[in-house]
Amino acid sequence: MNWFTLSMPPKDISTNGHLIDGLWNYTTALCIFYFVLVCIGLFGFSFLYSRKRNKTPYYTYGNKKQHIIATAVIGAAVFLTIDLNITRMASNDLLKTFWAYPDPKVEKVLRVEVMAQQWMWSFRYAGADGEFATGDDVVTNNDLRIPQGTKVLFHLTSKDVIHSFFVPNVRLKIDTIPGRVTRIWWDANVPGTYDIACAEMCGNPHYLMKAQLTVYTEEDFQKWMKTSEQIAQNTNDPENKNLAWGWKWEI
Amino acid sequence: MRRSEIQHGLGMTMVLISGTMLFATLLMGYAIYRTSATAWPPMGTEPVNVVLPLLSTLTILFSSYFMHQTRVQFADHKKAKMNLDTTLCLGILFMGIQMLFWNELKSSGLLVGSGIFSSVLYGFTWIHAAHVVLGLCSLVWLRLVFKPATRNLDVKLLNVEKFWHFLGAVWVIMFLTLFVL
Amino acid sequence: MSGGFNEIHPEPTTFWSKYIISFDHKVIAKQFLWYGIFFLGLGGMMALLIRWTLAYPGVPFPVIGNILFPDSAGIVPPDSYAMLFTMHGTIMIFYAITPILIGAFGNYCIPLMIGARDMAFPMLNMLSFWFAFLSGVVLLISLGLPLGAAAGGWTSYPTLSTLIGQPGLGQTLWSLAIFLFGISSTMGAVNYVTTVITLRAPGMGYFDMPLTIWGLWLTAILNAIFVPVLGAGVILLMLDRVFGTTFFLAGASATAGNGDPVLFQHVFWIFGHPEVYILILPAWGIVSDLLSFFSRKPAFGAKATALAMTAVTILSTLVYGHHMFTTQMSPLLTQSFMTLTMTISIPSAIFFANWLGTIWKGSIRFDSPMLFSLGVVFVFGLGGLTGLHLGTVTTDLYLHDTYFVVGHFHYTMAASVLLGGFAGIYFWFPKMFGKMMNEMMAKIHFWGTMIGLNGVFFGMLMVGYGGMHRRIYNPFIYESLQRLIPINTFITLSAIMMGAFQIVFVINFFYSLKKGPKASQNPWEVGTLEWTIPSPPVHHNYDVIPVVKCGPHELGNPNLKNGRDFQYQTEELVQG
Repeated sequence: MNWFTLSMPPKDISTNGHLIDGLWNYTTALCIFYFVLVCIGLFGFSFLYSRKRNKTPYYTYGNKKQHIIATAVIGAAVFLTIDLNITRMASNDLLKTFWAYPDPKVEKVLRVEVMAQQWMWSFRYAGADGEFATGDDVVTNNDLRIPQGTKVLFHLTSKDVIHSFFVPNVRLKIDTIPGRVTRIWWDANVPGTYDIACAEMCGNPHYLMKAQLTVYTEEDFQKWMKTSEQIAQNTNDPENKNLAWGWKWEI
Repeated sequence: MRRSEIQHGLGMTMVLISGTMLFATLLMGYAIYRTSATAWPPMGTEPVNVVLPLLSTLTILFSSYFMHQTRVQFADHKKAKMNLDTTLCLGILFMGIQMLFWNELKSSGLLVGSGIFSSVLYGFTWIHAAHVVLGLCSLVWLRLVFKPATRNLDVKLLNVEKFWHFLGAVWVIMFLTLFVL
Repeated sequence: MSGGFNEIHPEPTTFWSKYIISFDHKVIAKQFLWYGIFFLGLGGMMALLIRWTLAYPGVPFPVIGNILFPDSAGIVPPDSYAMLFTMHGTIMIFYAITPILIGAFGNYCIPLMIGARDMAFPMLNMLSFWFAFLSGVVLLISLGLPLGAAAGGWTSYPTLSTLIGQPGLGQTLWSLAIFLFGISSTMGAVNYVTTVITLRAPGMGYFDMPLTIWGLWLTAILNAIFVPVLGAGVILLMLDRVFGTTFFLAGASATAGNGDPVLFQHVFWIFGHPEVYILILPAWGIVSDLLSFFSRKPAFGAKATALAMTAVTILSTLVYGHHMFTTQMSPLLTQSFMTLTMTISIPSAIFFANWLGTIWKGSIRFDSPMLFSLGVVFVFGLGGLTGLHLGTVTTDLYLHDTYFVVGHFHYTMAASVLLGGFAGIYFWFPKMFGKMMNEMMAKIHFWGTMIGLNGVFFGMLMVGYGGMHRRIYNPFIYESLQRLIPINTFITLSAIMMGAFQIVFVINFFYSLKKGPKASQNPWEVGTLEWTIPSPPVHHNYDVIPVVKCGPHELGNPNLKNGRDFQYQTEELVQG
């Protein structure tokens, strides 16, 4: 494999990741276009107007009408292609997709609470009773399992320092901040196992703070969930402080 | 205007802009704490007794007035000097009252580490007091060079005066926002 | 506005007053230069240690590894790694770039280029250096502490930087050092702003100032306004750490915590975003001037460049939120910050148009300062454009805190500023020390640095896009990142190469200082004021305060008949 393919981001497993990839491609195309322009000017002029080739410089302050027009056209092109277009597309994607959180009351949404701490991710599912912060919650550490094709809504917080919940395969990350709850959602549609990383410096073993994301098919997930709920109901210890971090789900 | 007046005036203006930004940052932080808190002072904390802060406000206002008088009566060197002395004394008195105030806070059980409310009270007044100490130093320096023969004495006086008024203004704003509101 | 205050100070006679607590802006500039170069070397060594770890995790660092890390047999341990990248960032930004670009060039160029005998407040200037010195000493001391120096990243986000994450004294000393440095910067800024406004030579309007001075002046304004914001932030951080306040504490681990850790991020970036322009504006100014000087034609649209710089200065204060998209501010704020960020591309486009317009139809002399300036145009093009991906909120959700960010800000802040700084050093070295630098070695230095830094920083962009996040000791414990090993190795090799070529610079610098050929008064044949006086200038710069009669970029005027292709700013503009 050449380096170009190596440096491509990991496989996109979500429904909306292509929005980010698309915008990336558009922005990159623009960047290449403008950078090529700069390079043509830089190398071309350096070649054409070196001291050897061009003995007499053109004495101008660049304040002639055509100069000002040329500069203004460049400015306007940048304004139209970059400012207006990229901003519009990103705003749309953000408000209509990434930060438009699904409502568990209206549609089928898997809710997960995430607690980050040095240096571990804990995930909490509502369990059999559908309520958080009760004795039968399913709690996993560094192990997130979600069904394929279902929207998953996460509420995240942190116990100690700021962490950042980063799932490269869905192109998203969100900070987890002590004392606040942040939110993120996606739906994944390619079964498999993927990496979850902490992207915010959180202490010396920051690099070890990784978790695994497993995307199951719907049936496999239900099977796993059933077993886990059973285990939780039977073995969850109300005295165990490590399990007691949940909070009531609020919108 | 003389060149030295322009130059030093401009320099002092830049210093005051810097100082303003520092205290503005603190007040911005305070506004965020205040607006995001469910209750202020937080549940279980008594509001602070405003008598001592009010006293220090009056003190610093008076000192500002005498500072102003120093310049008004600049022609009469003796009177000006007396006004300057009064300013200095009131400035020291201000610091004294602040210390009493911190003592009172402490004895009322509100310690530095008791949460965000006391953090703001202690932290902000400390930072202001540190600047007042700087102001007092500049007053002492001015007092030492306060001789008719000193070169550009009026410019020096004007700039120290600006700094002192600035400290007074910051305190008044702090008093209004931290204690009254 | 001349005469009067702009007086000749008596020349100092003792060693102490001449070189140590000197009030002379030229000496202070050199002090800042030594200081900056020292820390640049230190920060660069740290970068090599970091790079080594990323390419060869678990392999002892060659030669000095065993001395630095005897406990781990020469391998950089994770805690030292965190310390290294924290200190690398802090040192490079505050202790290398700021002293060289602002401290050294600001002090050296401002009075000379505006025709003044010294700064407006020479004593403040001296204090500014010694506060910086003190701050540097505090920082160096923190490196030797038993629990190590600060290790929470140069951004020092709480709550990691409070006692929860950093129990050692290192972080406290870090805050103290930054605070002291802030005092030094503010003092410098007060001085620069006042000097530029009040001490310009008679006849010199704002648009007759060289663009270098424009850059430094705007930088100083930003410094005076925004450094105190960081000052407030680190004071509160210090109070949290030393006195137990809870400004930035929250969450379950903070027992009395109902503060707000995100507030620090706001405060930090209100300062931090202007700070990146504080670092780049002087480089922009220097490059804009040098491109014109070495193309032998006036700067294209100099007024537009100056105004675009001003526009960027103003915009830079309004966009800080793009560093915090992932903290989930309100959508409205997020959108506003994104839109404002994007508008910076307009003045930037004007810069590029004007820079390229300047070399267009010129008669370009490829001396080393010009090569470095052209290099800045190249790397800043890349750095600026990759900023688009990060200013766009959705792509930033993926790229935030990855090596893409690292590559981007190294292109803008490290590559551009460093190349701009080198351009300035090569350009003003004859004036500063009265000696010429070796041109051949300078060119070798340029090509080595240019190829090396593009290898390093473009590689960073690539691994960042590949999903490698920042500040991780060993990226390859993630299976998905193992495919990036070859690129990481390539980055490290490029970094080593780039580092090796800096030795050429150091040798050239010290060799020229001792043995370089004597510089003439005006070796580059340009017309700004500092070249009308001997190299190096006498203590009081100007025997007679010059009177300015034309702009700084009067080169290649076809009406000139006196055998020169440029005219000094003190000469009446030759009309056809």
